[in-house]
Order: sequence, then C-alpha cells, then structure tokens
Amino acid sequence: MHIPDGFLDPWMVLTTFLVVGGYTIISYRRMGRLSMDRVSLLSSFSAGIFVAQMLNWPLPGGTSLHLVGGGLAGILLGPYLGFFAMSLVIIIQCIVFHDGGITALGANILNMAILGVVTGYLAYKIAISILGKNNKGRFIGGFLAGWLGIVVAGLACGIEIGLSTYFGFNLDVTIPIMVSWHAILGVIEGLITAFIVEYIHTRNPGISYLEV
Amino acid sequence: MRGLDKRYMILLVILILISPLFGVYLSDLVGYHEPLDLAAEHIGLPDLNEELNWTPLYDYGFPALHPVLGYIVSGFIGVALILGIGMLLTRIVSKSECVLENEAKE
Repeated sequence: MHIPDGFLDPWMVLTTFLVVGGYTIISYRRMGRLSMDRVSLLSSFSAGIFVAQMLNWPLPGGTSLHLVGGGLAGILLGPYLGFFAMSLVIIIQCIVFHDGGITALGANILNMAILGVVTGYLAYKIAISILGKNNKGRFIGGFLAGWLGIVVAGLACGIEIGLSTYFGFNLDVTIPIMVSWHAILGVIEGLITAFIVEYIHTRNPGISYLEV
Repeated sequence: MRGLDKRYMILLVILILISPLFGVYLSDLVGYHEPLDLAAEHIGLPDLNEELNWTPLYDYGFPALHPVLGYIVSGFIGVALILGIGMLLTRIVSKSECVLENEAKE
C-alpha cells in the first residue's frame, strides 16, 4: 500500500500534496478544540497502528496481511482526528524508516489517512443507521468500515500509479489488480476492525467518536 | 501521560517483541518483497529506495544490529517518537487550557 519514490509523475505528486494540504486545513478547523484526553487517545491509537502495521504476515506470491487501520480510525477518532492519527503514523514510517517514498507521501496520506478514514467513518455510520446500534450493526458496520476503507485506499493507489506515466501499467491493469487484491486482503482488515469495535463496546465505549 | 492504559502499553511491548517473527523471519521464509516493488522490477523501473535513502533506520533495521534486533529497536523508536509527539501536544493543549481558564476567571 505504501507507494515508493519514482512511481508518481510530478503532477500527481503535486496534486496529492495539495489535496492533503486542503484536507489538513479542513480537519484543523472542524475537529473542534483539542482536549488532553483526545490528544492522549490520538497518540495511543497511532502507536497501536504503528505496531500493528509492523506485524505484517507475508504471503507466498508477493503480498502481505496486516492491519492498515484507516476504518478503525474513522470509527474511533472521526474523520478529522482520525486523519491526524493516521498521518502521524505514515509520516513517521516515511521519514524515520523509509517506508513509502517522500515524493509519494502526499499520495500515501491521501489513500490511507483521508480516503481510508473517511470511507470507514461513513460506512460505519450508514451501517449503524440502517441496522441499528446492536451487535449486528456494530459487527457489520465495523467489518464494512475496515473492508471498504482498504478497498477504496487500494483503488486510489491504483488510479494514482495508473495515471502516472512513470509506472508502466495503465489504469486497465492497475485498478483491477489493486482493487481485487485489497478486496481479498481487506476481509481480514474488516474482521479485525469489527472485533476491536466490539471489544471497545464492551470495555470502554465512551472513548469512541462514533457510538459503538 | 493521561489516559494511557498500562495494560495497553504492555500489549504494545509484547507485540513489538514478537513483531520480527512476522516482519523478519516469515518475510525471509517466503522471500517477501513489497508488491509494488515487484511490479516495478517487472517493468524495469529503477529502484530508488536505496539510492535515495535518508535514514539509518531504513526498512525497520538498525545499523550493525541483527535484523531481528533492529526490527525490535525500530518498533520501540517508532512508538517512542509517536508518544513523544503526543506528550508535546498534551503540553501545548494543557497550556492553552490554563490560558482559557485564567481568561474565564478574569
């Protein structure tokens, strides 16, 4: 999911950084006043996601399973604070560990910290409003948030590299591959997200942005 | 730091300690490479990662340390940095809360 340097055309690099800049301003204005508890939740959530992403289970054939966490961030922290929490992880991964390119940092934040988070947030909210705030609603909402979050992030990644001439494959190749792989791997993301939502519901539902 | 559950921190430490099992051992076992890196190799895109490297902690390693230990140390460094930024933010927020309280009193 982390795009390296050399994959994106300069115009795509610029566009993705501009979108991230715009969303940063919107999030800063809309997230409301930060309390000590919210900052604490942000950093402990980010630390957890950083560690969860280190637990990547490699699969033969050239891919790996690990939690990305965008959907979970959308449910627990909301679309604005969740964006800052995921961005913090992606920026540390890029700058300190060279996981993802510096020119692709905008795209990686756009995919995982904006699209993944907002999709997860909306998916859970819609699922709960249709199914109700019960076990079924929480499980299906959590699953859809995790699954759709990662599929939309994968789709965006496919579009960005497919539209870039530096990367030799076009959209007709990049989109089906990125979407189908993430639709399969996303099942695990969805299940983990659903189980964590259920766990938080039983232990400490008050910490969540959306009611769990 | 307020709100950081002790059990949660213990869980993070345990997960960091077992993380090389996935990130190093199983990776080597199945010859794992990032899917996008494999695609780049397939189409002959130059690998800029090592040429344009800016960090000694490249790929969650630590200079002169065995990859397993390097992965663990990297995990602790990453978590420490994130929590450190969180503590810095907490200080800023607590100062601004004090200012608001004082203004309210006046």
